[in-house]
Amino acid sequence: MAEPEAILERGGSPLGGPTAVADTREQRIFVASQWQLMWWRFRKHKVAVASAVVVASFYLIVLGADFLAYADPNASEAHRSLMPPQRVYWFDGGRLSPHVYGLKGARDPQTFKRVYVADPDRKIPIRFFAEGFEYRLFGLIPTTRHLIGVDGGADATQAVFLLGTDVQGRDLWSRLMYGTRISLTIGLFGVTVSLILGVVLGGFSGFYGGMADTIIQRTIEILRSIPTIPLWMGLAAALPRDWSVLQVYFAITIIISLLGWTELARVVRGRFLSMREEDFVVSARLVGCSQMRTIFVHMVPSFMSHIIAATTLALPAMIISETALSFLGLGLRPPAISWGVLLQQAQNVQTVAISPWLMLPAVPVIIAVMAFNFLGDGLRDAADPYGR
Amino acid sequence: MLAYIGRRALLGIFTVWAISVLAFAIIQLPPGDYVTSYIAQMASMGSVVTDEEAQNLRIQYGLGQPIYVQYFKWMRLIVQGNFGMSMEWRRPVTEVIGERLWLTVIVSVAALILTWVLALPIGIYSAVRQYSVGDYVATFIGFIGLAVPNFLLALVLLYLGFVLFNAHIGGLFSPEFQDAEWSGARAWDLAKHLPIPAVILGLAGTAQQIRIMRANLLDELRKPYVVTARSKGLSEARVILRYPVRVALNPFASTIGYTLPYIVSGSIIVSLVLGLPTVGPLLLKALIAQDMFLAGTIVLLLGVMTVIGTLISDIVLVLIDPRIRLEET
Amino acid sequence: MTDLGRTPRTRQRRSRIVMALVVGLLTTVLAAGALAQMAKSGLIGKLEGPEVVTDPAKFPKTLNEAPQLAALVKAGKLPPVAERVGQDPLVIKPLREIGRYGGTWRAGFTGPADFWNGFRCCSGPDHLMFWDYTGDKVMPNLARGLEMQDGGRAWLLHLRRGMKWSDGKPFTADDFVFWFEDIYRNKDLIPTPSAAMAINGKQGTIEKVDTHTVRFKFPEPYYMLPDVLAGSTDLAGQMFGYRGMGGFAPAHYLKQFHPKYAGAAELDRKVKEAKFDSWVRMFLAKNDWALNPDLPVLSAWKTVTPINTPTWTLERNPYSVFVDTAGNQLPYIDRVVLALAENLEVLNLRAVAGEYDYASRHVDLGKLPVFIENQQKGGYKVYLDPGDYGGDMIIKFNLNYDADPEIGKWFNTADFRRALALGIDRDQINETFWLGTGTPSSVVPADGNKYNPGPQYRKMWATLDVKKANEMLDKLGLAKKDGDGYRLRADGKGRLRIEIMTLGGQFVQYTQIAEMIREQWKKIGIDLTVQEVERSLALKRTAANEQQLGAWNNDGSEHLFTFPLHVFPFELAAVATSGPLYVKWFHSAGAQGKEPEPRMKELMEKWKKAFGVPEKERIQLGKDIWKIAAEEVYIIGVIGMGPASMGVRVVKNNMGNIPSRQYNSPDGKTPGISRPATFFYKN
Repeated sequence: MAEPEAILERGGSPLGGPTAVADTREQRIFVASQWQLMWWRFRKHKVAVASAVVVASFYLIVLGADFLAYADPNASEAHRSLMPPQRVYWFDGGRLSPHVYGLKGARDPQTFKRVYVADPDRKIPIRFFAEGFEYRLFGLIPTTRHLIGVDGGADATQAVFLLGTDVQGRDLWSRLMYGTRISLTIGLFGVTVSLILGVVLGGFSGFYGGMADTIIQRTIEILRSIPTIPLWMGLAAALPRDWSVLQVYFAITIIISLLGWTELARVVRGRFLSMREEDFVVSARLVGCSQMRTIFVHMVPSFMSHIIAATTLALPAMIISETALSFLGLGLRPPAISWGVLLQQAQNVQTVAISPWLMLPAVPVIIAVMAFNFLGDGLRDAADPYGR
Repeated sequence: MLAYIGRRALLGIFTVWAISVLAFAIIQLPPGDYVTSYIAQMASMGSVVTDEEAQNLRIQYGLGQPIYVQYFKWMRLIVQGNFGMSMEWRRPVTEVIGERLWLTVIVSVAALILTWVLALPIGIYSAVRQYSVGDYVATFIGFIGLAVPNFLLALVLLYLGFVLFNAHIGGLFSPEFQDAEWSGARAWDLAKHLPIPAVILGLAGTAQQIRIMRANLLDELRKPYVVTARSKGLSEARVILRYPVRVALNPFASTIGYTLPYIVSGSIIVSLVLGLPTVGPLLLKALIAQDMFLAGTIVLLLGVMTVIGTLISDIVLVLIDPRIRLEET
Repeated sequence: MTDLGRTPRTRQRRSRIVMALVVGLLTTVLAAGALAQMAKSGLIGKLEGPEVVTDPAKFPKTLNEAPQLAALVKAGKLPPVAERVGQDPLVIKPLREIGRYGGTWRAGFTGPADFWNGFRCCSGPDHLMFWDYTGDKVMPNLARGLEMQDGGRAWLLHLRRGMKWSDGKPFTADDFVFWFEDIYRNKDLIPTPSAAMAINGKQGTIEKVDTHTVRFKFPEPYYMLPDVLAGSTDLAGQMFGYRGMGGFAPAHYLKQFHPKYAGAAELDRKVKEAKFDSWVRMFLAKNDWALNPDLPVLSAWKTVTPINTPTWTLERNPYSVFVDTAGNQLPYIDRVVLALAENLEVLNLRAVAGEYDYASRHVDLGKLPVFIENQQKGGYKVYLDPGDYGGDMIIKFNLNYDADPEIGKWFNTADFRRALALGIDRDQINETFWLGTGTPSSVVPADGNKYNPGPQYRKMWATLDVKKANEMLDKLGLAKKDGDGYRLRADGKGRLRIEIMTLGGQFVQYTQIAEMIREQWKKIGIDLTVQEVERSLALKRTAANEQQLGAWNNDGSEHLFTFPLHVFPFELAAVATSGPLYVKWFHSAGAQGKEPEPRMKELMEKWKKAFGVPEKERIQLGKDIWKIAAEEVYIIGVIGMGPASMGVRVVKNNMGNIPSRQYNSPDGKTPGISRPATFFYKN
């Protein structure tokens, strides 16, 4: 068991010597609950806190994707093809009035590129909470309000294109909103499957030990020795190509999580093993608690935090896996929109050379993966305020 | 000690066999077989394969038989050192794979070395200056490698290489060295082409290693013997490097086993984009065409590579850290 | 979970239709302007090419050869060039100038399945007869002449005296007889006889008249034989040798692999030694132009390192019968090196970087701006060769679809098909995917094609007319719509949903185009689902009659009679079908399958008849066939005469005799039709 000073010290520099402890602080620490201690530890990790905010914002986007998008993500229009991101002008003659200029586009007969010229006579003001295409808020309430838009609503022949358009003239910002929704929910779903598998199998392994443990351990080792990409390629190549986009979506998450549960199982098993000998578990058994009760009421809460940390760290792997599978042509495919699909559509020479803004979906991928990683790190550091 | 190694080796062999079964099963999963894929290819080029021709082909390639029969046929061949014929390439599998496997190893090892070269100093610095700005910046750099989609990065680097340096596009060799015999010049040519793939792959694994190094070192630095060393007057650098780092390296060694499959996997995607003559692009084509023996052999060999890697790291670990032997019950 | 990205249209639909019409008008105007501008871009040149000289008076009197061959002759290792070429050389007048010897042609290929790559660039071509550079006239090629006898029932093929295989052995009528008797008629090698050797279902024969004359004999007049010999059919030279086809084969070499000539025991030993499963497999592998470096050939270059290695190398054939008008034995270029590029992006980027001397295969039209941008840096020029066929992209209706009787009924209703055709905004598709270089069109071939039925058929049922489409569909009984604006089925079972099957990873982006069409068909109330599948699955579904709509292209259809595959249901093994049961009916003369409806039947009958009638009548039959196709819209034409399929050409500036525009066709083995043997390096 660790001394209270040592608890505080873990948050400080390990190279310094023991520091003096104020009496009141010591009191608070003694009295604080496990979760409060964790929160205090977590707070110290500034980047982790910032990451938590970022992650929360992402999930807000997931909820409000339709609201944040302002154009129908599937509406194609050849004359808007490959528009670069539009420059937003914030002031109009001194007043705060965000607007863009209408664009005239044509294909240059010499270079065959689409060239857009701003028409200075056509100012298109950006309205907030404007009318746009129809959707259902939270899947229930039909509405046409979006965060931003232009006059004329869904009929406007000219609109604002914050991040430009793709080859088919579809607005990239709106597609990105919908892509965020799909990519982050795939992650959640996949991680849940991994979690269930990991906890169940890891728990079995750690709690019962013996033959069950050996078998599960060996299986984990075998699975971890297999290079994942060939396995995914094989499994995904086996998916019937005439499944609907939704079916493929679920199948992909299951495929990815089939290999992802090993890490969680390892953590859970480790926890169970070390906890089996702890006094409080032994006493629970002696008092007469059933096995189920021992596990779920006494043991699980004490490593819950580790599970949360490990789960958070598994998410970025899911996101990267989804993009990798889409790249291989084995993951989600159009008309589905996900980060992987958007990146796959940008994965060509003409995008890199001529329309690089189509690579912007890589930015939320990078931010999300890093945010989840830092968050997970912070959670893991804070996970066990009492000991190693 | 020998018993431990022996046990691990046995497990390794079992793992390899399990991988072979898994690989074979997965390859057979897609509907149809090589002949259906072949007919489709011919059809899309306007050539015709009649029903009888298809039947004949099936018999020639032994595709009409049940899966387990085909599997045992393959196993029998492997034991004799023959990995079967590739139907797509109409050559023995060993010839098709040829030097690609070695090139895959070289690329993966180069990435691994780069990973360590980056991760070690960053991890040490991170642990020593925990929560400082330097810590965050260093970890940030480490994580960028993990977060950037490597296929996109590869394409961008490929294009930039052409635009800025007029570099030869992709591949691991310049055209004149592609089929040449091994020589000093060829090796140098290979070395010139390695940086881009190694960087893209290596960066991805760096984050994980940084984390591990940092965590282990942090644990060590809290131990009493560090305080002792410092109080005895040793310089800071020696305090850190002589003892804690060496102990912290132990689990590092064990991670080779798990980093290797990760890097090999990653190398497949990067190879696809950069057009490297490694095993990756070959495997993708083989899986789609259902070229059974080729795909199965590649997956098997990749699995063997990683199992051997794991075994080596286990042995290294046992040699370094006697505690492992005792823990392994 | 919300519907993945689809949004319903409601009351705003009417105003949207008006908007669409306005936009449609605007785009038509803009498209016309764009087309005019495109012509100014200079990327599409004038159709030109080298000519075959047939007047013996114009033949060169003396012959020259490449320096390295001359050295070998001096060393006594090779007979002199006059002896190698023979008395009747195949004289070709180069497009611009007499060239120089030397150089290596660098190109890329994608793997062992990419054998068309080699045939197109390097086979000569080695057809017995071949097309002139317009793709219209049949000229003598490896054969010196073709003479019709007996009202078309017999054809005399005159060979060239002194012509030799690449190993120096004579090329004679024996090579034809060997092919016909010992390969074509051998049921193990060729289980099913070829339609190319038959007229009205009756097989013909080949017999030797003398050393340099061969007779093709048929039970009925077979007027089409010259076209069949010129086109990429089963009688098209060694290209299809790997299947046992070709019309001729090197008897002196292949006999050792044939049970009739090699002893059974000896053959068995050879088979085991070479690790083949059977003599059939070995024989066909030995007869493979791209795979066997030992196979004697007649093409301009011959394979030195085979296609199943990372570098497919071809070198000049010292016995090549091709010469230029100055007497220089062709080819000028010494070697062709095709380097493996397994990834199309890498291949295209290498072409952008100028690493290939001449590339057209696998070049992606979508990257056109990048190619143009790098012309100077890469030292090359970009050319566009639009095809002559009406459908760079087409959509086939499966007329035999019966899994859902209502849908099957609609597919067989002409006005339904026509309405759907009118609902496609082709200008949008052309602009987005063809960068404006294609032509919105019905399925009929280019205006200059001899079978084209007339300019009015270009736009027949191939314009955007949402109003008319809606009217037609309403009149058919599909007027009722659901809340989202989609039409309801007539049998009351809910929304009318149809499905289109597409293939990914092709020269044309079928899936993305189909998605665009899906959005466009919303305006006419049709709910379309897009299914992207793998080639083998596509094949399985078409053969099993599971496909509803299929997207593909009809390249080759400009040569209607040698490439009918995408004009009417002709082949079971197709990645998109118009009716597998009709295919069976067609090939079994009515014994199997299902009898087609009257106009389709008429089309099929005309097609069959054309083979046995003189040219003038055949041309009229061809026109009639296209008329029916355009009127009935069994297949919707979307964009035609585009350069998407091997029509984007990147050629280094130091290459000579390069045409500014060439006939882009599989029958023409483009660039074969421009005689790459006359290409040379200026420095």
